[in-house]
Amino acid sequence: MKGKIIEIKSDLNTAIKNIIKTLVQKKLFDAVFVPVRIPSRESFAYLLIKDKEILESITPLPPTMPVQGARALKDLTRLGKLNLRILCIMRPCEIRAAVELAKLRQITLQNLTFFSFDCPGVFPTAEYIKSPEKYDQNIIEKIKAWQEDGLRPNCSICVNFSHYNTPADLHIGFYRNHLLIYPVSKNSQKILDILSYRAEDDLTEWENSINTLLKKKKENRSRKFSLLSNQTKGIENLEEFFTGCINCHNCMRVCPICYCRQCFFESPEQSHHEAEEYLARAKEKGGIRFPPERMVFHLGRMNHMALSCVGCGSCEDGCPMDVPVGQIFSFIGNEVQKMFDYLPGKNLEEPIPLLTFKEDELHEYEDTREKK
Amino acid sequence: MKALKLSQSPDNAIGSLLKYLFEQNKISAAFVLCKNNSRDYFYGLITDKNLLEKITPTTPIMPSSAGKMLSKLTMLEPLTSPIAVVLRPCEMRAFYELIKLEQARPDNILFISFTCKGVISIKESKDGFEEKIEAYQKNPATELTLPGLRQCCQICENFVPENADIILPLIEKNDLNNTTFLIKTEKAEDFVQGFEAETVEEELNDTEISKIKEKRARKKAEVFANITPDKLGMKGLIDIFGRCLNCHACGRACPICYCNLCYFDSADSEVGPKAYEAETETKGAYRLPANTIFYHIGRMIHISLSCIGCGMCTDVCPVSIPVGTIFTRVAESAQEVFKYIPGRNIEEKIPILTFKINEFEEIGEE
Amino acid sequence: MEQTFNPRIIGFLCNWCSYAGADLAGVSRLQMPPSIIPIRVMCSSRVDPLFILTALLRGSDAVLVAGCHPGDCHYQYGNYHTRRRIVLFNKIFETLGLETDRVRLAWVSASEGGRYRDVVTQFTEHIKEKGPNPLKKEIFL
Ligand code: SF4
Ligand code: SF4
Ligand code: SF4
Ligand code: SF4
Ligand code: SF4
Ligand code: SF4
Ligand code: FES
Repeated sequence: MKGKIIEIKSDLNTAIKNIIKTLVQKKLFDAVFVPVRIPSRESFAYLLIKDKEILESITPLPPTMPVQGARALKDLTRLGKLNLRILCIMRPCEIRAAVELAKLRQITLQNLTFFSFDCPGVFPTAEYIKSPEKYDQNIIEKIKAWQEDGLRPNCSICVNFSHYNTPADLHIGFYRNHLLIYPVSKNSQKILDILSYRAEDDLTEWENSINTLLKKKKENRSRKFSLLSNQTKGIENLEEFFTGCINCHNCMRVCPICYCRQCFFESPEQSHHEAEEYLARAKEKGGIRFPPERMVFHLGRMNHMALSCVGCGSCEDGCPMDVPVGQIFSFIGNEVQKMFDYLPGKNLEEPIPLLTFKEDELHEYEDTREKK
Repeated sequence: MKALKLSQSPDNAIGSLLKYLFEQNKISAAFVLCKNNSRDYFYGLITDKNLLEKITPTTPIMPSSAGKMLSKLTMLEPLTSPIAVVLRPCEMRAFYELIKLEQARPDNILFISFTCKGVISIKESKDGFEEKIEAYQKNPATELTLPGLRQCCQICENFVPENADIILPLIEKNDLNNTTFLIKTEKAEDFVQGFEAETVEEELNDTEISKIKEKRARKKAEVFANITPDKLGMKGLIDIFGRCLNCHACGRACPICYCNLCYFDSADSEVGPKAYEAETETKGAYRLPANTIFYHIGRMIHISLSCIGCGMCTDVCPVSIPVGTIFTRVAESAQEVFKYIPGRNIEEKIPILTFKINEFEEIGEE
Repeated sequence: MEQTFNPRIIGFLCNWCSYAGADLAGVSRLQMPPSIIPIRVMCSSRVDPLFILTALLRGSDAVLVAGCHPGDCHYQYGNYHTRRRIVLFNKIFETLGLETDRVRLAWVSASEGGRYRDVVTQFTEHIKEKGPNPLKKEIFL
């Protein structure tokens, strides 16, 4: 058996909720970490839920991602594991970010089981908040048609939206009006065994639909990346690219990977200078911006975390000025990750390239004396 | 008081004055709002007078609080040579609060400010900014429903920069072709000496000012009527702050929140797995990111006495929570208790940093 | 079966006066409800308003801050600062429509064992009447 399938009778969220409820009833888990609509209804927050009644109100597949799940999970587990077996329902990019954070020792993975799903992408949070009803309706249509207009720009170029490359335990796939539960990790089989849905060996239809979509997204991605590569060549283009940026650092604050309590770019070393020094710097060019060092911040942040950037686009979502910061981070991330053949969050065992090295590597970047 | 009149637009007139000050070596730099292109506004510390062509001091936008920026400039040591600063009244009041908090120094600064019609929120500047500016300029200051105007500006009654050295009475006149500089202090007189302009006697137009104040006070009453204690309560607070991402962008943009490492980002404020387990058990569920309401009330405790109602916090909030409106409301009632007006007088202590022996005597004794 | 509600009140007691006062009440075997969870602080001014906020938002039923009478603070002016902080705290709570009577500031000297008992008894009664802190069950904080 390759997986189990269910026909979706009501809506997707209810179908997924039923699976979760079953797993909790069968005492496989003590608590569930999952998005829930907030009381005022125009957005979502993650809840760690124990109470079965509250479990009724979950939205496992919200049309928007106000907080990157890994960031929320970091809040919960940074100081250590909980003595609860927790089922986490998260999008693939959230799970990959969580794994990166685990490598950075900001998340404790013990006692966590990850459930991912074929991610249709999310709508920009600011847009969603303005008219939730519109998007609530829309998301179902979108999933059916796998359309990407109006999604977060990063979502329409995301090529890791399904089960591969994301170390979830179980994955939920969608095709036609079916929901497929697909075991990813070794120990997920026993969870699957407990669910009494129809076993299925032939996954061709699902795989085909994923592959068609993947092809489309790959095309989008290379088109976008070649555009970006032109837009960001040289400091002038870069300055132009970040036009409008007010240097507020929101992008860093909402990014799941940027975990530092005190970002280097807000530290005293970096931001407290004597007036004379500011004036001297201003004199060199005739003037300087305040807040200073907009470029240092963005390029510096890239240096810190681009290898771990999962391309989720949360940064862009949190930017009050709509700077396409998620796209450029995704693009640069992709470039540097290629160098090390590294895919952030894919495999817990694989160290972040900057935290390790090989003696015999990267010689093409060395300026050795005996270079021909 | 003495006033100087120029038949130029306010931005050009300020430019001429700064140019003169540069040429006479009266200032070594100017700190003023600049524009790179139609989308890129920022505060610039300018030392080269040729760059004055980039300045746009009266464009209604506040990409960051000048008060906060000036504190970056002057925190470690006072300026040793004079600079001219053009900023809005609330930014100047924020700067004064930061001085009291020992985060800034006022030395060697010539303050130029103007009666302020408010700014367009930065999010609203992203599209149709030109048209919004046009509507803003055309309409009198008593018109509060201008497209994109910050809510905090619509209800701000402290739009006269009492402490500035030079004041431009902009909003009483709404004249784009003529500009007046009111020379308020002796310091300012020294600076403008020799600057070519028509010298007249003029005062701030109190009748116009109180008309605008009245209009804004009424608007404020209207806005605050929706956030009265009985409409808030924890339920009301959760309705307002429910979608908060706990990103703390509001605090980072707030001129008063100066801490390098905010308490709410520090390890002190973090609770461990045991506490999470316990709370999940009692409540049945636990919200993440945690402590959003805690953050907001905590920040109110920290800064509400100094909050100058600028609305920077609302502007940067990625999920458009009206943070500034709530903070302004709380600030007003907190400041009222101590009869304190932030940023008014540099000598006046922030109430929480001082006390009187004979006050609130009923508390603690019953 | 009806459960009786026994409030849990965090009591910040200043080392020099109120903690000694509480101790005296204990040694003198004065009867009072066992509702206070005492936390000894060197001075009432050590009580950061955020301590009070934390206690209330995380579900304790009330907070008592007790220190030396004005003029008697062992650090001279500490309690005057405390007083302003509590005033500010209450004002913020009041403006936000939150309950202000779950926080109480009381001056209790080292010799006032009886006063300590009275303060604790009255405050506990008051909180009993009010019922448990509703925030205890609030998820979306
Ligand atoms: S930089 Fe942006 S796209 Fe990359 S992980 Fe952070 S938030 Fe996501
Ligand atoms: S940019 Fe660097 S220092 Fe700042 S939060 Fe990210 S990783 Fe940390
Ligand atoms: S890119 Fe956006 S979020 Fe990041 S610093 Fe600039 S304006 Fe702020
Ligand atoms: S809290 Fe908001 S309105 Fe008040 S000073 Fe800070 S940024 Fe301005
Ligand atoms: S909320 Fe408090 S600790 Fe945080 S920056 Fe503001 S004043 Fe500092
Ligand atoms: S900026 Fe908005 S989302 Fe972020 S902490 Fe403040 S209120 Fe919450
Ligand atoms: S020492 Fe008791 S209140 Fe200060």
